[in-house]
Amino acid sequence: MTPPPGSLLAAQDLHKAYGATKALDGAEFSIHPGEVVAVMGPSGSGKSTLLHCLAGIVVPDSGSITYDGRELATMSDAQRSALRRNEFGFVFQFGQLVPELTCVENVALPLRLSGTSRKEAERAALTWMERLEVEDVAGQRPGEVSGGQGQRVAVARALVTRPRVIFADEPTGALDSLNGERVMELFTDAARSTNAAVVLVTHEARVAAYSDREIVVRDGKSRDMERAL
Amino acid sequence: MSAGAGVRPWARDLSLGVRFAVTGGREGWVRLVLTAVGVGLGVALLLLATAVPNALAERHRREEARLDHTYSEHVRPKADNTLLIADVDTTFRDKNVLGRLVEPEGPDAPLAPGLTRYPAPGEMVVSPALKRLLDSGDGELLRERLPYRVVGTIGEQGLIGSQELAYYAGTRDLEQHLDGWQVGRITEFGPQERTKETWDPVLLLLVLVMFVVLLTPVAVFIATAVRFGGERRDRRLAALRLVGADSHMTRRIAAGEALASSLLGLVAGAVLFLLGRQIAGQVEVADISVFPGYLDPSPALAALVVVAVPAASVLVTLLALRGVVIEPLGVVRTSKPARRRLWWRLLTPAVGLALLLPMVGQGRDHGNFNQYAVIGGVLLLLAGVTALLPWVVETVVARLGRGPVSWQLAVRRLQLSSGSAARMVNGIAVAVAGAIALQMLFAGVEGGYREDTGLDLNQAEMQIRMSGDVPLDKAAAEFGATRGVREVVPLGQTVVADVHWRTDGGPDTTADLTVGTCAALRTMAKLPSCHDGDVFVATSTSGVSDTDPEQLVAPGRRLYVLDSNDSDRNRDVAWTVPEGLKKAVAIKAPDGWEHDGVLITPGALPTALAGTTVGQIYLSVDESVPDTYDRVRNTAARLDTFSSAQVWTSHRESREFRTIRTGLLVGAVCVLVLIGASLLVSQLEQLRERRRLLSTLVAFGTRRTTLSLSVLWQTAVPIGLGLLLAMTVGLALGAVLLEMTATPVYVDWASALTMTGIGAGVVVAVTLLSLPPLLRLMRPDGLRTE
Repeated sequence: MTPPPGSLLAAQDLHKAYGATKALDGAEFSIHPGEVVAVMGPSGSGKSTLLHCLAGIVVPDSGSITYDGRELATMSDAQRSALRRNEFGFVFQFGQLVPELTCVENVALPLRLSGTSRKEAERAALTWMERLEVEDVAGQRPGEVSGGQGQRVAVARALVTRPRVIFADEPTGALDSLNGERVMELFTDAARSTNAAVVLVTHEARVAAYSDREIVVRDGKSRDMERAL
Repeated sequence: MSAGAGVRPWARDLSLGVRFAVTGGREGWVRLVLTAVGVGLGVALLLLATAVPNALAERHRREEARLDHTYSEHVRPKADNTLLIADVDTTFRDKNVLGRLVEPEGPDAPLAPGLTRYPAPGEMVVSPALKRLLDSGDGELLRERLPYRVVGTIGEQGLIGSQELAYYAGTRDLEQHLDGWQVGRITEFGPQERTKETWDPVLLLLVLVMFVVLLTPVAVFIATAVRFGGERRDRRLAALRLVGADSHMTRRIAAGEALASSLLGLVAGAVLFLLGRQIAGQVEVADISVFPGYLDPSPALAALVVVAVPAASVLVTLLALRGVVIEPLGVVRTSKPARRRLWWRLLTPAVGLALLLPMVGQGRDHGNFNQYAVIGGVLLLLAGVTALLPWVVETVVARLGRGPVSWQLAVRRLQLSSGSAARMVNGIAVAVAGAIALQMLFAGVEGGYREDTGLDLNQAEMQIRMSGDVPLDKAAAEFGATRGVREVVPLGQTVVADVHWRTDGGPDTTADLTVGTCAALRTMAKLPSCHDGDVFVATSTSGVSDTDPEQLVAPGRRLYVLDSNDSDRNRDVAWTVPEGLKKAVAIKAPDGWEHDGVLITPGALPTALAGTTVGQIYLSVDESVPDTYDRVRNTAARLDTFSSAQVWTSHRESREFRTIRTGLLVGAVCVLVLIGASLLVSQLEQLRERRRLLSTLVAFGTRRTTLSLSVLWQTAVPIGLGLLLAMTVGLALGAVLLEMTATPVYVDWASALTMTGIGAGVVVAVTLLSLPPLLRLMRPDGLRTE
């Protein structure tokens, strides 16, 4: 099986089970550079598992995932970690910021993990925080900022390494609609400005509206809505 | 819901908390059980401590009740109520074996405690532990020494420990061995006057300090245990705020949860104690064992534990919630912590010092130390560690610089919650501080309780004493043929006097008389030349003897040789000092003494003197041959039932001192295991709370080594600070205690560093044990929400 031509990240015939529960059952996926793809589906449909597999966090039981022509299954854990550190970015539902670090330190963390000096990492972090309009909370800890601000800090953290793919799992799930929309606007704008591909897992249609394409996952099987039309 | 005030709201909210504690689903039960086990371990140790005074008293009582005073100046006459008894204690592989040969002389002969009747000649009754040993292959060598048929077991009342090896063997013709020393005639068992076990003031001080040092970390541990799962509980309380509970109510509910855990902990502690009590009956440490029945907690102290533990758990919970603001929106924010103040933290150890300082210089000659002041002073000084440590950790981590990501993660976490980090290491810091102080005190006063035996281990490692009935050459041949024996020095010894031994008041001038081959005598004196048939008079250069042997032992003079095997110690045999007496110079003999007096080779020994000496046989053995000591003991017992075999050591320790040291060892091991367990549980609890965050960090590529290092730093920094503070307080406390006993203050750095090292070792062990769960928690599963 070969990935669709020009795709940056593609998955074919993915299977993954947790005990007797089949989370993925032949799911397929592909995304091109600069593209925003929404993965939709009801709770428990397997969309988060698909995201985790695509990001190399979870190894599927079978199937193929290729990133930039490289097969993820053949990579070691260290290689996949390096890939996530250098080429991927992540945004989670509750931000998942490190509570002990200040916001700017949180944003700078991925760069520091890649070996960038603290000063340089924090300078870059501040630039991204300005773009996401959270530079005023730079010195505060996550527990001291609002949910919307925290989520924007999390987006800044995902973008700071200029990743080629950003994985966002329900990025606005914990926010009210107004805050959610603002986060999505800033997020997609920033991602597009860096030509990053965005895998956006959501069950909200208004969030999916920010995407270029939608893939629906149900019972572990995926359906590309664009191709289905 | 309404806040209210008074007893009713308290009762209502506490019971609500208790209900929450037991209806929290699987997660809640896990937390409850974890806390209960933690508190239970502490309670079990506390109950054990409350049982120690009873155990010691009972042991002392039983030991006294079976006393048989064989020593008497005059042997009493045979009667219906007399018992002939011989002390034939022995040793088997470093374990003492209580042995008595008994021969009741009438129907009213006193019965030893634990016995229902005396065994007939050739039979014996044994302790259960000895029976097990003799029945097993391990006891084969001992069986050779005890050639009696086992006809029963000694009851608990006759034994001081469950693992004690003891026997009473029936015999006959004991009367001919009566010596008023090893073999006696008695009419009762028990002390001549009942005594209360009295302790030397310094030993009492050691015991008091030991108890405080061992129990303080247990209290700290309990305080830590009731806070397990605190963060999760805070979130639950936030949910209660949402439905209308005010902040006072949430605190009372939290206190109720803690109360439930501690009550369950009390039950768990009681169960653990009862289990431990049974197990304690099966084990033996340093020759000391107990019966489960010994370990009955003192009712008052046990009641104190039952009341104090739940009360303390409620108090600790309320104190812990002081700095936490629980808001209704499910958000729990730690209120901006007030900067910790130093003054009252310094006040605690200062008051402790103030209590101890008046006792400085009291030494062991000025009566007992004030027990309450000692306990209070040591307790406050050690509590000073727990009071000062949060301040030290906060102050230091606030100044820690930047570093690699692992360091930054750790330092930031410590800065955010230095209190919980300090709490985690409090127990170990207190234990180390106390251990250092105790070690200093032990090392300082050791000289008074440990003495140099003066024995020359280069010449011999064993000494056998046997009656003169056994010919020396036969004994030498038998020991020489015993496996593992390298060299045998057989000597016969008695005393010679200028007048009859039965003279009123005994003779004035005496000297030692030693019989041996030339080779054997050369271990006692420098001989000019020696042939069988020679007699020497040896003089000592050190002047240890009052008598000048050369004056007493003059050729042609009639002297009186004491029959050392006579029970009345007044029978003697006349002996005329032969012509041709040679001079010799006494040297330090294997027993560490210079024996001046008469040295006779076997050829010069008149037949009449042959049975007057007691055999002293010095053996050099090959310790690498297994069971050499026991083979030698068997040979000795075969040659003479009443022989005694002693393995030489370079030092001898006071029994009480050794017991305290053993107690410290056992207590320290229990406390370290407890602290290690508490550290591990706290660590796992914290990791579990951070599971999702750890998974997230791994998701965006954080190396596992970075996270592992960060966990290590988080433990290492507070531990390092804690141990430093512990060393300071421990050395200060040790110095004060030494001053109190009027002992020169000497810092044994090796011991202090060893104690610190052991503390650090526990932490390293805990960190290593927490790594597998840490790696497991870093798996992506932590990101799953469904």
